[in-house]
Formats: sequence, C-alpha cells, structure tokens
Amino acid sequence: MIEIKTVKEFVENADSIDFDDFISSVIEKCEKIQSKYQPFITINKNHAKPKKGLIHALPVSVKDCICTKDLQSTAGSKILEGYIPPFDATCVTKIKQQGGVIIGKTTQDEFGFGTFNVNSKYAIPKNPFDVERSCGGSSGGAGCITAAADFPHIAIAESTGGSITAPAAFTGTYGLTPTYGRVSRYGLIDYANSMDKIGVIAKSTYDIALMLSIISGYDPLDSTSADLAEQDFTKFIGKDIKGMKIAVPKEYFGEGVDKKIADLIWEKIKQLESLGASYEEISLPMTKYAIPAYYIIAVSEASTNLAKFCGLRYGLHKQLSGNFDEYFASVRSQGFGEETKRRIILGTYARMAGFRDAYYLKALKIRTLIIQEFKKTFKSFDIIAAPSMPVLPLKFSEIENLKPIENYMMDILTIAPNMAGIPMISVPAGLINGLPAGLHLMADHFNEAALIKASSSLEGLE
Amino acid sequence: MKMMMGIEVHCQLSSKSKLFCSCSTDTKDKNPNENTCPICLGFPGSKPKVNKAVIDYGIMVAKALNCKVAEKMYFSRKSYFYPDMSKNFQITQYEIPLAVNGFLEIDGEKIRIKRIHIEEDPAKLVHKGGDITTASYVLIDYNRAGMPLLEIVTEPDFTTPKQVRLFLEKLSSILEHLGVYEAEREASLRVDANISLEGGERIEIKNITGFADVEKALNYEIVRQRGLLRMNMKVERETRHFDADRRVTKSLRKKEYEEDYGYIFDPDLAEVEISKEWLNRIAAKMPELPDQRVQRFVKQYGIDEYQAKVIVYTDKNLADFFEKCCERYKNAEKAAKWIITYLLKSLNWHSISIKQSKVNVDSFIEFLELMDSNTITERYAKELIKEYVDTGISPKELIKGKVKSLSEKDLKDIILKVLEENQKAVQEYLQGKEKSIEFLIGQVLVKTKKQADPKIIRKILLSCIEK
Ligand SMILES: [Zn+2]
Repeated sequence: MIEIKTVKEFVENADSIDFDDFISSVIEKCEKIQSKYQPFITINKNHAKPKKGLIHALPVSVKDCICTKDLQSTAGSKILEGYIPPFDATCVTKIKQQGGVIIGKTTQDEFGFGTFNVNSKYAIPKNPFDVERSCGGSSGGAGCITAAADFPHIAIAESTGGSITAPAAFTGTYGLTPTYGRVSRYGLIDYANSMDKIGVIAKSTYDIALMLSIISGYDPLDSTSADLAEQDFTKFIGKDIKGMKIAVPKEYFGEGVDKKIADLIWEKIKQLESLGASYEEISLPMTKYAIPAYYIIAVSEASTNLAKFCGLRYGLHKQLSGNFDEYFASVRSQGFGEETKRRIILGTYARMAGFRDAYYLKALKIRTLIIQEFKKTFKSFDIIAAPSMPVLPLKFSEIENLKPIENYMMDILTIAPNMAGIPMISVPAGLINGLPAGLHLMADHFNEAALIKASSSLEGLE
Repeated sequence: MKMMMGIEVHCQLSSKSKLFCSCSTDTKDKNPNENTCPICLGFPGSKPKVNKAVIDYGIMVAKALNCKVAEKMYFSRKSYFYPDMSKNFQITQYEIPLAVNGFLEIDGEKIRIKRIHIEEDPAKLVHKGGDITTASYVLIDYNRAGMPLLEIVTEPDFTTPKQVRLFLEKLSSILEHLGVYEAEREASLRVDANISLEGGERIEIKNITGFADVEKALNYEIVRQRGLLRMNMKVERETRHFDADRRVTKSLRKKEYEEDYGYIFDPDLAEVEISKEWLNRIAAKMPELPDQRVQRFVKQYGIDEYQAKVIVYTDKNLADFFEKCCERYKNAEKAAKWIITYLLKSLNWHSISIKQSKVNVDSFIEFLELMDSNTITERYAKELIKEYVDTGISPKELIKGKVKSLSEKDLKDIILKVLEENQKAVQEYLQGKEKSIEFLIGQVLVKTKKQADPKIIRKILLSCIEK
C-alpha cells in the first residue's frame, strides 16, 4: 500500500490505489484502533467499489445518529439497537456519490445528550492523548477516530449545543459546525431539530473545506435547508486575512475558563493579528442566558422527538403484553439511558400548560435576542474568537463527580453560537501539559468562508 | 331548556399526495400499509415536507367560509401517546392556524367558524374481536397516516341537531364544489360534536361519520342529559362515542381536566408565508360556490329556491346531473320535480348517491320524455323510476312488452266501451252527480292498466258524454 497520510495527497492520487487492498488495510487499522480507543459503535466491513468523484475511495466515518442505508444506526441508544435504516441521510448520499467510503459509525452520547461521550451503553471513546481522559462529546467517536487514524480519513459529526467543538478541542482536531441550514438534516436522528447541524471533524482546514463542499447545499427533503447553490469551499484555503476584524468577547474568558487555556487562545489571536487581522475586546451580555434557554428548547424538542420510540415499528421490541401504555412504558424504561430519561422528563415539564409560557416560549424569545446580539456584532466584525472549551480534556473519574448542572455548564462557550445557528470552527491551538486545547472561531450566518480563511492561515505556524 | 352545540369537522382533503410526504392518498384497493414511506411511518431521521397543494385547498375552504387567512402560519407538534400515531405526536396547527373568524349561513342564521387548521390524519386502527371498548386486539393501517385533514371548528351557535345536519350537508357541498374532497371516500368527513344543556357540563361525542348519525347522536344526548337533569343527577364532563348500530352514545372517558398536549412549534417545518399573490392566485381560481349556484338555478332554470337548495346542497353530482339534463331537456321544472321527489327518494332508499347509482342523464331524459309523449302515465312513472334506479336498465327497455303504446284512438275505444257498460253512472252524471265521473275514470284506468293519463281520460270522457 502506498503510504499517503493526508486527504489532499490521497484524493490527488486516488486512481493509483488498489481499492480492495487499501480498504482491507484500513478496516484492519480501525479494528486495532477500536480495541485501544473505542471510537466506533459499528465498523463497516462490506464495501462495494466506490464511485469516481471528489473523494474517490476516501475513508469517511459517520456519527451514529446519521442514517446509513443497510448499516446499523443507533444514535448511541439501546432503544435503536439493531436498527438498519432503509435509506441514507442526504449527506451520506452525497458522500457516496463523490466516492467516499463509509468505514463505520462512530460512537456518541445517547441521542447527543452529553459533553463527554460517557452517556452511552455502547463504546465510550478514550482520548488518544491519554486513555484516562474523555474525547469530549457528544461526537466523541468522531474526534477519537480522527485523532487516532494514521490513514486519510474525514469524520462526519453533528452538533446541537457544542457536540463538534467539544470533541475537536479535546482531541486536537479541526471541527466545523456549519450554519444551521447549510447541510441537510434529512436522515439525522433528531436531538433538537431547530439547532441540530451536521458538520465535519478532520485533521486539517482543507479536509474540512473539502467535505463541506460535498455535503452542503439545498435539499428539498429538509424544509429548513437553505436555498443556496453548492460551492467549493477549498478556494478559501490560505486566502489573505489582512483587514479581518476579530471580536474577543470578555464573557468567553471569564469565570470557569482555565487560565492556561485563555492565555493560549490570546497567543493565537495575536498570531492572527500578526497576519494582518485586527482585534477588539467586546461584550456579549446575552451569553449568561444562553444555557438555561438552550436546555429548555433542546429538551422540549428532544422529548417530542423521542416519543416515536415505543417498540412498535423499529428498534427495541418486547413480547406484546398489557395495553399500549404498559407496553411502550416498559420498552422505553429499558431502552433509554438515565440522561435521556432526565431530558424527556425536563422537556415534558417545560412544555406543560402553565409552564409553557414561562419556559418554552420565553426561551424562544431569548434565542431571538441572542441571535440579534450576534448579528449586531457581525456588522462590525468578521469573526469572534474564544476558547473552544473552558477546560482541558477531563478524566473519566472527574466527570463522574460532576453534578448534572456542572456538567451542563461545560457547554458555556459553545451554547450561544449553537443556539444562534452561526457557523463555528474549533482549531487546534496547541498543547498544555501534553493535552490539546482549541481556539473557537465564529462567524455570521453562511460566512464559513471567513472561518476557513482564518483557520487555514494558522496552519503551519507554531 | 337552554343548550349549546358546536362541532369540529375533520375533512380529508383530496390532494394527490399526503400532507408531508409523497405517498399517494388513493388507498382504494390497496393492501394495509402499502401507501407508506419512512416519513409517514415516522422513521428515525425522516423529515416532513409540507405539500403546498394542501395549503391551496385550505385557503379555498377558508375563503368559502368567509374566514380571515393568516399571513404566516406555523405547524406545531401535539404530543400524546396513542397507537395510531406513528411519531406519538401529531403535526397540527396550534397558536396560528390557517384561518380564523368566519361563518356559514344556514337558512338565514349565521353559524360562526372559530378556526380552520391543517393537520395530519393518524393511522387507522382496526379493532378485532369487538368495538373500541371491547376489542381483544388492534391492528394498525398506516395508509391513512399523514393524509391531509382540514379541521373546521365552529362556535357553539347551533340551536337544534337538525341545524347541525344542514350545516354539514351545506359544508360538504361547498367542499365538493371546491373540488377539495371526495364525499365517497370512507370516513372522509368525521365529526366531533359537543353539547351542553343548562345545568350540566359539556359532553363531547367523538368521531361520528354520517351526517344523519350526528343528528341522531345529538338528539340522543339531549334526551339523555335532560333525563339526568330532571332527576337532579349530574351531567359530568366526558367524552362519548356514538354506536351507530344501536343508536346510542356510550361513555369513553371522563374528563376531569383539560388534556395537556405539550404543544411546541414543529422545528422541522419552516414557517409558511401566505402572500397576497398567493391569495390572489387562489381567489382567481375559486369556482362557483353552492349559494351562488342556487341563485343561478333559480334565475336560469326558473325553479324555486327550495328546489334549487335541495339539488345543490344534497350533492354536487346531483346538481351537475340536473344541469346536464337541462341542456337537452327544456322543462327544467319538471326535471327538478322528478329529481327531488322521486329520483332522490329511490337513491336514499338504497343509501347511494347519484354517482354511485346506475342512473345517467340520457336514460333519465328518456324517462321524462316517455311521460311527455303520454307513453306512460305519471302514476306508472312513479313505479318505473324505482325499477330504473334498482336495475339501471333504461326506462325504454323496461317498458317494452309491458306497455303497448296506447294511441288516442285505442283510448277512445276503451272509453266508449266503458260508457256502454256503465249507462247508470252516465245517467247519474248527467243528472248532476259530479262524483260519477271519477268512477268512470277509474274504470277506464283499470281497463288501460293505468297506462293512460287521468286528465286525458277525463277530457275524452266528457266530450263523449256530451255527444
Ligand atoms: Zn409517506
């Protein structure tokens, strides 16, 4: 096998590869990685010859909440164990059309409910930098395999409140969360539909831009998909950032943010300045309302999304007995994990008559205000820079001791931009005590170009 | 005793595909669960996509019912666990429905329409080994899941159960004239009726399918509730079910509190903006509505308003049938009379509509013309029309061999013979006993086997006697 490590080299030389040889060696490597770090729920061993295209024969992993035809898709939940979707998600169809090869389904927190990928009855991924530590979540498997793979590969991940940024930051990889509506959600097993975004985790900005070019674009099957023409995002790689205006919000460097991480991020901002960008410190006062509002909207939507899992048509089944209420209650009690049950109960409560106005409807109003605050900022700035995560990758033993509310606070830096649906990228910022930290760049809706420019300008600099 | 009645009508719209997927709505001759896909089965990862044709239909109905159409509308999720729901929530409209504040006039009285909204139909449950309260198990047919429904909610403005039936008939005729629904389809119009009598609480009767059954169910409820109240017993808030076979309502569940459906906006469906252009486009293609048609029938065909209303409100196909007859048959009044009084009676006897029957315009005109040419008498025609509706055989064929065409000369011969045989009656008549002429006419009718018109018989009789 030809030793090609980067995606760019690989796709440029794809014609000279013996596919069967190549893919069997990739699967072998995946199995080795699996035994060490557990990024997968399912490794796909059946491969037809891929189509010719932009990513001919390129190994692609897909987060388990994204439906893949004829390949088990559980969204990390036991209630969907053994579920084989009858159709591909739109992004998977697009990847296959361009010759991508789905090597497996990556592990995640059940339905995306988590920041550390520990809420799973399947594999809990271990951080390749230190197996005692978490890969972040909920797309933990995607970050894990991207960091661990020594073959060309791109991961498809998904974020609702920070599920791409967190694992990218914890595994020292690039993670792009596109603008809401940029990538079709058709085939995504929903967490909170108004905030779910399919995105990419990869080893370089180029890989991110290449995959975004493939999976983005209008999809008639998703009513919330933006009616924009497909475009080639790789053309923004290495573009000059002279004159780029960066906002640095003080709320993102405050209490709860590891000082060492904050310092490292400032170094990165200064690097961008040295490349011709300018920065200014600003305030985003709505930030403090983001977490409660996010959780209310997310659990309200999630609790309705999860109602369909009742053991009648797919997923976990049991011997039919009792009446319908008794039957579905027993299936759901068995199939859902603890965090999932917690969110269903919270969500059902937030939607109840009498609470609905005070919680759900008010949270929607706060979201509108948060969006307005970002919109106002982007009138004067091209990007916002901040740390991706407030902490370095946590040890599993530390996570165990977090109370649910402390756990939710870990999303403080990612929730607001995720709620607003603006695009963001986590860029590896370097190591602290041998552990990776991420620089978070955010831009206005549909301005992924600015993120790609800024991210790629930092590549190769140390 | 004061009472309040209101209804919620669920009308299945006849768009080609379902509300949120491209599955066909035509379930005729389909196996259970054949018209399904990942979207209407609620498979993980599937997303709804609204069928704009359904909104077009909804706007047409809203306009016909004098409602105000929303500028922007949203879909919501109504959550409750029930086996007929593929997602355990129903996509419907809550805060901002398609249209509000309309009315429909029934014999001069306005029944206010509170709201009209679009929603998806749940699957059909097939109860095995009993009815909804006694079945031992239930099968689910998702062919119906995701069918487009229009829910029309009235204010509690009805004063009698009969008025409710008239409302439903007129509404059904409007929907047919708009071409948005098929009356023939199974359970295409389902009604939830609510009724409260002074001193009692509100009772809801769910899911009644026939218009006559709605009237019966409400009448039954009035008697039942009145009885309870007279005995100083409580009428408690509950949901009941109408047993059409036994013509009674049965309790389904007591309602102690308002059900909580935990509505949220459906985040998979973007808001739908209904622009001025959209409304204008619909306005331009609004067809003639029943009330306008009634007025036109009165003017154009000279029939009276009552007749026009019966023809138009019974069934759009009947109105179409009448108009087709009038294209070639000039005595519209006679056609109207025979359609309303005799044809409709025979159709109702068989509980079929004109469309389901074998009656057609050509043979019906033939039938009318048989009377005009005195080939058959009106009296015989009344018998003949039943046979015609039963068999669908053309009236000309039916009378072959039974009626030898009776010429005026033949009739005169018969009359002369009757006069000869009944000299006594003739004498009595000549002495001023008017009644005797009736006796003579009767005798002629017997001899002609009722195949002559009594008016003509009288005319000939009198002329012969005078001679
Ligand atoms: Zn369907």
